[in-house]
Amino acid sequence: MPWISKNSAGNAVEKRAEPYLTPQMRSHLSQHIVPRYEQKMGALLPCLHEIQHAYGWIPGQAMLEIAEFLAIKPAEVIDTASFYEEYWLKRKGKHLVSVCRSIACEFCGQPGITQAVKDALGIDVGETTDDNEFTLIELECLGSCGSAPAILIDETLHENVKPEQIAGLLDAARKAGAHH
Amino acid sequence: MPFPPINPNLSGPVLTQRIPCWPYADPKGRHIVSYEEYTRPGPHGAGYESLRKAIGMKPDAVTEEVKKSVLRGRGGAGFPTGLKWTFLPKLKTSEAGQEDDPGQRYLAINADESEPGTFKDRLLMDFDPHLMLEGIAICCYACRIKTAYIFIRGEYHHQAKVLENALREAYANGIFGGNGLLNGANTARGGAFKVDCYVHRGAGAYICGEETGLLEALEGKRGWPRIKPPFPAIKGLFGKPTIINNVETLAHLPSIIHHGAEWFMKQGKVSTFPNTPPSHGTKLMGVSGHVNRPGVFELELGITLRQLIEDPGLCAGMRNGKKFKGAIAGGISMGILGPDQMDAEMDFDIGRKNNVLGLGTACPTVFDEDTDMVAVARNIARFFKHESCGQCTPCREGSGWLYQLLTRIEGGDGRTKDLDLALEIATSMGSMPGTTICGLADGNNWAVRTIMNKYRSEFEKRVKPTSVAVKMTVGAGAR
Repeated sequence: MPWISKNSAGNAVEKRAEPYLTPQMRSHLSQHIVPRYEQKMGALLPCLHEIQHAYGWIPGQAMLEIAEFLAIKPAEVIDTASFYEEYWLKRKGKHLVSVCRSIACEFCGQPGITQAVKDALGIDVGETTDDNEFTLIELECLGSCGSAPAILIDETLHENVKPEQIAGLLDAARKAGAHH
Repeated sequence: MPFPPINPNLSGPVLTQRIPCWPYADPKGRHIVSYEEYTRPGPHGAGYESLRKAIGMKPDAVTEEVKKSVLRGRGGAGFPTGLKWTFLPKLKTSEAGQEDDPGQRYLAINADESEPGTFKDRLLMDFDPHLMLEGIAICCYACRIKTAYIFIRGEYHHQAKVLENALREAYANGIFGGNGLLNGANTARGGAFKVDCYVHRGAGAYICGEETGLLEALEGKRGWPRIKPPFPAIKGLFGKPTIINNVETLAHLPSIIHHGAEWFMKQGKVSTFPNTPPSHGTKLMGVSGHVNRPGVFELELGITLRQLIEDPGLCAGMRNGKKFKGAIAGGISMGILGPDQMDAEMDFDIGRKNNVLGLGTACPTVFDEDTDMVAVARNIARFFKHESCGQCTPCREGSGWLYQLLTRIEGGDGRTKDLDLALEIATSMGSMPGTTICGLADGNNWAVRTIMNKYRSEFEKRVKPTSVAVKMTVGAGAR
């Protein structure tokens, strides 16, 4: 019932002494990325990508730092960050397994692929394994409809996947180490 | 039954001249085309020579050539590209022949290919990025644009890296940046003309493929489409005149400039309707689903869906010898072509002739006789529910209700009246102009409505009479 307001998480931000937006990131962004845009806010998506890539998610403190860096309001940062699916505002596992569930994939065997990942990891869609290694999600079209079904593990796309290949692919990702 | 020859007016591929594609070559031989390889002479001129030819012409002459060729946008709407360019504010020329400073203008390249079923731009970005970059340079010169952003979807990690590398090569060879196009070569406009080009990665939102949603994302905001007018050509990115073109559209420019508009107009076909722009040129058609050889083919517009699916040089028939049941016309928002519409011609008239929304991206997804069409409708409704940006009420609420209804029907808990309710939503949601800002709801409507109308009996078999009490599986009263 939407009219009964729930006590939400509040607006306190978990802080740590060390900044998420490191001096190296700041100098790279201010030299190469920010000058590309007429208004500083144009660099917001690249900044969020930078944090997401480095930490695997976007902590609240990082959003505050980006706001200060781009001279915009924190509310503007969270407004944008919360819109886009690829930005994780909560922690996820070290590796992200994304199964495409769109039209071509679903009718060319995606349900079997999702099931194989679920069985291999012992989790449901949207969950993270207990050892914090893998998070499984289903997402819309990965743009490989001609080679369906497709699965994206971290930043590597695997096409024409068969359920029996899943265990091997997951092992390879685990061995490759943390990669966001 | 023998089929007419593939691409009768061409001796070989144009856009895919360096990318092996059936029926010309085995896709196994694909590789990333480097700057050095791109600049070798070929049947459509050496790479970046078309740009040299373009800057030897007045910018307006380039625009005129593109306008004359009636190159129609390859992103889905099919709007004539040259005409779009002429919507930019006009510039005055002084008596000495010097043109006014155009000020800051932008080109946004729409590489946010998120429509399910569509994977054609990806091919160009994967293997031949310089073709698009040359098109970008030509467009920027013709429209006096100094900054171009390639907006590529977040999921295309590999393609973004390929593009970054190609841009580095292009900058190193003086195409972009530095003193101006082609190492500061003198242009017919007077002096050198400098263009900068950057890659801007999206972050997983289908709505950013809508042109004004894309501009919002470039400005660092939520990808919420803007109300038009003002149109982007007048007031776009950061409030400046902006042109938005699809990757494939830009990739057509080098060959049009090299051969001239007449060459382009020999391909494809003219419209059979009065006062309707023709469908000239080739189109990348990506076929997915239940065919023997799915993939991207470069074909002249006007080829029939039957030939595309059955020609041994193309898709080589339905998988496992099954019968054809239907095909999404070109990206899921275009609606479905039924079993009796296999002879539909794939050109920009397809919508008017076959009662679908349009050609879209010309990337059909083909279904065989075993496909559950209720599940297809549910999958499509889920996609639109997921991707509705939430700005306009009819789309935000309607797409959710449509998905819930179809899930219920698929699960066997639907009632007869649910069919009428679903159809009513799929007819009214955002259909009246002005009730939604962009066309997302309309795409949802066309897809669901055409499936429900063409495969009505399948839906009827799944539902119970309205008088029977059914279990609530979705919505507020769910288990």
